[in-house]
Amino acid sequence: MDVGFIIDIIPEILDGFSTTVKLFLWAMLFSTPLGLVLALMRMSPIGPFRWVAGFYSWLVRGIPLILIMFYVFFALPEFGKSFLLSPFWSAVAALSVWTASYQAEAIRSGILAVDPGQFEASEALGMTKFHYMRRIVLPQSVRIIVPPFTGNAINTLKQTSLATVITVPEMSLLTTRIISREFNALEPLLALAIIYLALTTVLVFAQQGLERSFRLKV
Amino acid sequence: MAPLVKVEGLTKSFGDNQILHGIDLEVAAGEVVSIIGPSGSGKTTILRCLNLLERPDGGRIEIDGQMLCEDGANGRIKFAGKSEIRKVREEVGMVFQRFNLFPHMTALENVIEAPMAVKGADKAVAKSRALELLDSVGLSHRADHYPLQMSGGQQQRVAIARALAMDPAVMLFDEVTSAVDPELAGEILLVMKQLAEQGMTMIVVTHEMGFAADVSDRVLFIDHGLVVEEGKASQVLGAPQHDRTKAFLKAVLERAPMAAEGEPIDESTTSWEAEKTVSDDAAHIAELESEVARLRHELSVKEPTDTPTAGDL
Repeated sequence: MDVGFIIDIIPEILDGFSTTVKLFLWAMLFSTPLGLVLALMRMSPIGPFRWVAGFYSWLVRGIPLILIMFYVFFALPEFGKSFLLSPFWSAVAALSVWTASYQAEAIRSGILAVDPGQFEASEALGMTKFHYMRRIVLPQSVRIIVPPFTGNAINTLKQTSLATVITVPEMSLLTTRIISREFNALEPLLALAIIYLALTTVLVFAQQGLERSFRLKV
Repeated sequence: MAPLVKVEGLTKSFGDNQILHGIDLEVAAGEVVSIIGPSGSGKTTILRCLNLLERPDGGRIEIDGQMLCEDGANGRIKFAGKSEIRKVREEVGMVFQRFNLFPHMTALENVIEAPMAVKGADKAVAKSRALELLDSVGLSHRADHYPLQMSGGQQQRVAIARALAMDPAVMLFDEVTSAVDPELAGEILLVMKQLAEQGMTMIVVTHEMGFAADVSDRVLFIDHGLVVEEGKASQVLGAPQHDRTKAFLKAVLERAPMAAEGEPIDESTTSWEAEKTVSDDAAHIAELESEVARLRHELSVKEPTDTPTAGDL
């Protein structure tokens, strides 16, 4: 193994760093509210909302992400020109749709974990559901949601590498180019692994920070 | 004057298990009614039906002139609309066995949340009112504390202040001392007694026979989802007519020396700041024991006594 070679190629891989990070951040930005809406729909007293959200979860969690990526990039434009997205935005859309299905479950489990007495106290005080979900229930469920939520986020970060298959120039794609150019896989893959590990480590620390800040005051 | 709370023929089942078999209840403004009865008798369910936390299967509930539910023409129960139910809930304060304070908010925030959200109260106004209320339950020095930083007795007093902040016409108390250490029950009961003296209409589900005897105008003994016996506290507790009432009271009072149940509310022994343990107080124990002996004696006397039990508790 050539350490000097690793150091040489890291800057080249890092050319895709911002693309990877942007894929991740956009996917989180879209998937979080979508996941919240799906979670609330899943628990709605209105049947059709529950069915739609249940179907979404069943469908999206039941197929591979790579298939969703291909579908958004290659198949969707057949429904019309306006569905023709760039490789980058196709990847963002696929990652968002995919992540949301998992975040919905994380958020739902957090809401279910809130003491039923909290709902009752809120209702007994005459609060509307919208108000107590926003002010009483969700703030308490965040504490419970943080660990599975960041777990999903770490997965999404790693799965941005799948955008390679639709030619998004993120770190993994650049690495495969180096491999085919240099006829050497060991060092480029090691370098790539180190960068991903650094990124996921940041998320692990973020999780610990979030857990601390949402801890109940005792 | 029309009763503030009017319940007719209330029925409720959970699955195949019928909990309420037709409860009638009327509570006038300013009246304090205690509901006692064995575990599983349905007393908590009655209370929870009064603000529709539990939806009854049949019967009629009217609070302050507003119908909450009634039997429809097709034999199925009809409920008031969502916003009418919320309006009634503003009028009905409820205190729970397990406090149900919002754990992510301070005591003060707990108290101001509903007035601001539901009544649109101005924050400064809500705050000063909340501080008054916290002061009245002896907790103004805990305004910035979080629920988990307080004892059960303190949390329950905050919960009472939170309910009072909505200026309710009637307060429901659901076994509010059952989840706190017996030595802290007194501070909650004292707040409730003060509230009763101020003329608050109260419906109290309780195992505290001392409180029921001391504070309530009327006592309902419930068993198997029916009102078995109803009357003045001194009658029902002092000279019960039904065998089930007698058996229940006997069982409760025999437990009393151990569990400090039926503990009289003595304001001199309940000091907010000291928070001292009542159980250490030998004089208090002696007092308790004589109290239990007296109640036992009264139970064995079949005819109603002239001196009401409530007077000297």
